[in-house]
Amino acid sequence: MARSMTLEVITPSKLFYKGEVQLVIVRTLTGDEGFMPRHTWAVKLLNAGELWFQEAGSTDFKIAAIAGGFIDVKENIIIFTDAAEWPEDIDLERAIREKEKAENWLKNPSDDDSEIARAKIAILKNLTRMHVKEGGHRRKR
Amino acid sequence: MAANNMRDIKRRIKSVKGMEHITNAMKLVSAAKLRRAKNTFERTREYFHFVTESIEEIFNNTSEVPTRYLKGNREIKKTCFIIMTSSRGLCGSYNSNVIKEAAEQIAGCKEKPHIVAIGNKGKEHFMKRDYDIIGEYMLPPESISFIETQQISKPIIDMYNSEEIDEVVMIYTSFINSLEQSVKSVRLLPFEIDKDPSSPKLEKLVEYEPSVEEVFNYLVSKYVEIMVYGAIVESATCEHAARRMAMESATDNAREMIQELNLFYNRTRQAVITNEISEIVGGANALK
Repeated sequence: MARSMTLEVITPSKLFYKGEVQLVIVRTLTGDEGFMPRHTWAVKLLNAGELWFQEAGSTDFKIAAIAGGFIDVKENIIIFTDAAEWPEDIDLERAIREKEKAENWLKNPSDDDSEIARAKIAILKNLTRMHVKEGGHRRKR
Repeated sequence: MAANNMRDIKRRIKSVKGMEHITNAMKLVSAAKLRRAKNTFERTREYFHFVTESIEEIFNNTSEVPTRYLKGNREIKKTCFIIMTSSRGLCGSYNSNVIKEAAEQIAGCKEKPHIVAIGNKGKEHFMKRDYDIIGEYMLPPESISFIETQQISKPIIDMYNSEEIDEVVMIYTSFINSLEQSVKSVRLLPFEIDKDPSSPKLEKLVEYEPSVEEVFNYLVSKYVEIMVYGAIVESATCEHAARRMAMESATDNAREMIQELNLFYNRTRQAVITNEISEIVGGANALK
């Protein structure tokens, strides 16, 4: 029998998700990483990326777009992020528009380093949104 | 003369009634806004403690925490105050309480502090007194998003890191209940966590990635952002509560005034009638 753990996804304004899961995949700073119950305790920073998780007893993955944050892995998993979105809440056209806007900033770079960094983050976030909307970057295996 | 007087009173009653309508409407609007703000506020508060707990946990369990953010690391010379007021008036003593507290704290500073003003009223007050306003946010606070708070807090953290400022104090109004709010000042940086030997050690080793230091730095900036966000949301709630109270008492006062004026009007009217009757009776008597 597969074990399960509680996953909580917290944003500053609300509890985005809470439930029993058996597998969580997130994008850490060094790449995608999966966590299953009884993982070593860890605190890791997250990049903007997709969040995949399998609810207990299910073989389907649920996907959400998250905008960076950190994951706290103990007996249970807590993900703290600045923003999280389900695919059905994502406005695809807006994401494409914003990505293009950010790309334009990069084409005409200003001297301000922080602006370039912001544009890069914006591109990453909107790319994630687009992928999530289409059912995830990686297809279901 | 009496008729003249009566017209005056009538006019006053009318204008006070108009005012009563306005304050009553504002009260209702504030009550609705308060309800919404309170909702957001309560949701934020639920998850508020989470980041603080994580920081304390790391602090208590590792020895490699960077001391940059801890108290006693460097002498406090320059303070940065984050002052949260409203952008609109008519909310009783809400703004003046915050400003009073801020002025008191500023008086205790050695060097002239920097000020980050959230809300117009505080900005105006301190700009007139020639303080350096290094950041501001002027839109209605109840609709602030977390991203916008990040834009407020980022420069503050940067300045702290580059040692331009040595202390960050936030002054805001804390929400006790709909009838009671109090001004609070909180020091955001440097931290004052005591290494508490009695706090429970985690029983297992925790992996930090990329490194303890980076995780800690990330948490610190998150902490500041979340505290600022929380305080803005809380202040907005208080603003509406304060305005609702102010408008309620204004409405009550107006109603009382209308009652008094009505009484006065009726008396005057009666006096006019009595006067007329006594004139007629006097005239009739004279004819006898």
